[in-house]
Amino acid sequence: MRFGEVNMTDGIDQFNINNLWGLEDRLSNVLRPVTPDPVFVDSLKYRLSRTPTVLLEQSKKHFGLAAILIGLLAGLLGYWIYRKIQK
Amino acid sequence: MKKKPVSVYAEITDENAVKLASDGNSEAFSYLYEQNVKRIYNYIYYRIGSEQDAEDLTARVFHRAFGRIGSYEEKGVPFSAWLYRIAHNLIANWHRDNFRRREVSLEDQIDFPHHGDLPERMVERNQEKEMLLKAIRNLSPDRQQLILLKYLEDLSNAEIAVIMRRTEGAIKSLYHRSLLALREELEKNEKYHVVEK
Repeated sequence: MRFGEVNMTDGIDQFNINNLWGLEDRLSNVLRPVTPDPVFVDSLKYRLSRTPTVLLEQSKKHFGLAAILIGLLAGLLGYWIYRKIQK
Repeated sequence: MKKKPVSVYAEITDENAVKLASDGNSEAFSYLYEQNVKRIYNYIYYRIGSEQDAEDLTARVFHRAFGRIGSYEEKGVPFSAWLYRIAHNLIANWHRDNFRRREVSLEDQIDFPHHGDLPERMVERNQEKEMLLKAIRNLSPDRQQLILLKYLEDLSNAEIAVIMRRTEGAIKSLYHRSLLALREELEKNEKYHVVEK
């Protein structure tokens, strides 16, 4: 290509690159790190430190079963005492 | 004589924190949390555009990580890559659950103070910012992730490649295509605004 001639393809590519670089500048200006609310950061840290690695859920069924057994034993004991007194 | 209190992080370093945390050391997990919470929050915030939802999703990322740290395997990839992956998946679920995408209002924006700016100039800046963020959020999740990692974290293509499990060349090419797609999105929005006016 001689001096003074314009290569149209190069011109278009150059235009695209410049345009994309402009876009990169816009992105740099807009995408800036934001600071999360310190209260949120601290409370999440606290919640995580309080969370056990393995959660052992206690079944409510066991409590119910224990209450029935205790009730039955108390009833039987009462009945046994009553029979003793009667004699 | 009283002993000088020793920092809880005295023996936890960047190198051993992940190993200690996966062995159940909660102080090591706290260390990893402090190292990563800001970047994960930023990533989520710019992906979804709402402070409240960003806090909620950030909490979910760390709760999930905490629950699964025991099965985490070190493969020479930064720990943050694992967190980004969790965040990426949770954001996808969030978008699926929120079928109607929420638009970011001007009130939701975090303003960067430009001292001495006239109110009209500030409004203009906010509008430009809103338009750019809207265009970013219309890109595919992979493209959004790449742009955010590049600009928020200032990571190189090689580092992003590790996080996104691609080759450096693939990232370079994806980045170029992302910028082209972003420019298209912006042109569409600008045309729409001109017609609206």
